[in-house]
Amino acid sequence: MSKKISQGKVTSANGISEKSLAQQVTNLPNEMAPERDLWPGIERAISHKSQQVTTDKQSNIFIPSAWAASITMVILMSWFTFSPTISEKDATALVNTQEENRVTQGQLVDFMQKNFQQQKQTLLVSYGQPTVDKLPPAMQKELTQLADARSSIRKALLTDENNADLLNLLDFTQQQELKLLQQLYRQYQVI
Amino acid sequence: MDSQINKDKKVIDGKALFSANKMSANKNHGSDDIDGEQAWIAQAKQGSQSAFYQLYEKHHRQIYALCWRMLADKDSAEDVCQEVFVVLWQKINNFRGESKFSTWLHSVATNVVLGHLRKHKNWLQRVFSIEEQGTNMAEPSVSLTDDSTLMILDQHIARLPERARLVFVLFAVEGYRHEEISKMLKMAVGSSKSQYHRARNLLQESLMASDCISVEEEMNHE
Repeated sequence: MSKKISQGKVTSANGISEKSLAQQVTNLPNEMAPERDLWPGIERAISHKSQQVTTDKQSNIFIPSAWAASITMVILMSWFTFSPTISEKDATALVNTQEENRVTQGQLVDFMQKNFQQQKQTLLVSYGQPTVDKLPPAMQKELTQLADARSSIRKALLTDENNADLLNLLDFTQQQELKLLQQLYRQYQVI
Repeated sequence: MDSQINKDKKVIDGKALFSANKMSANKNHGSDDIDGEQAWIAQAKQGSQSAFYQLYEKHHRQIYALCWRMLADKDSAEDVCQEVFVVLWQKINNFRGESKFSTWLHSVATNVVLGHLRKHKNWLQRVFSIEEQGTNMAEPSVSLTDDSTLMILDQHIARLPERARLVFVLFAVEGYRHEEISKMLKMAVGSSKSQYHRARNLLQESLMASDCISVEEEMNHE
């Protein structure tokens, strides 16, 4: 401990001399003993911190993976949800611009399928959710044939990459199915 | 800081002679002590709590004295002294041996104490830089009879206004330069110097006053 205080001047109007103060500072003890034992508290704290560090180290391994997964998820979600090239164009236009958009055929087929299901659901809701069994059997058969054709084209597209004709056929089949449904239910509603 | 802090300059009454004798008798063992401390530091860096306890045992009284003088409160000093050693445990790997361990430990302790003081200032004190204690010694936070084990000067230092006390302890007792103190306390170098002079004047006055009171008491007793 470096006790430094000027001992030169001795004068002080209302107090003790500087020399005396300097002497007292020099005589101050370097050490004081605390009343209570401080070690148990320190020991508890450092044991707790050591455990925390171990846990942190373990969790540190997962943090980069979790971050990477989250970022990938957000990018994919944003891409599928907000990508103007997909959401704002109809399926036909997408088929024609597939190469420009750099969308894989599988992604495009999935998108077309979802889009079709949404349109179909909206149509059915608008007619009060009618069931197919209320349609005449001939109409039911025609709808089933269209649905089967759609399904077969989808399966073919999964194995045949970059087949624009098949994609166009899928789109055509879906549109025909929707048109037929619309005609049938409109007729059925009128009846 | 560097070599300014000479921690071996412990001179007080009978202990001084004892320490001096012990130092001369163990002159050859001085390097052994340093080697022992270096070993404890190395082991503590590896996570040895028993080695860390040896460091605590060797240094905690000095650190407690520093905390007590800066905080002027026994309970806070004990709590902060504990905090210092917890921080030491976390930061001991930062000690590169470029200075004496005790010097480095004192700088860690000083930072912890100042951090504690900043944390415990209320919003009014922060906004208007109002000192926790009054600017005069009329209402001391520590009574002169609070702790008879304390040196008289320590009792008077405890009654100084906070900033004057901090500057006085850091400059006169701990041996920091005003440039270093100004950085620690975020004040101008000139302010550090003026706070030191203020503290010195207040101490001279209060020590004189207490001397007068003691003389009066003795005369009355007679």
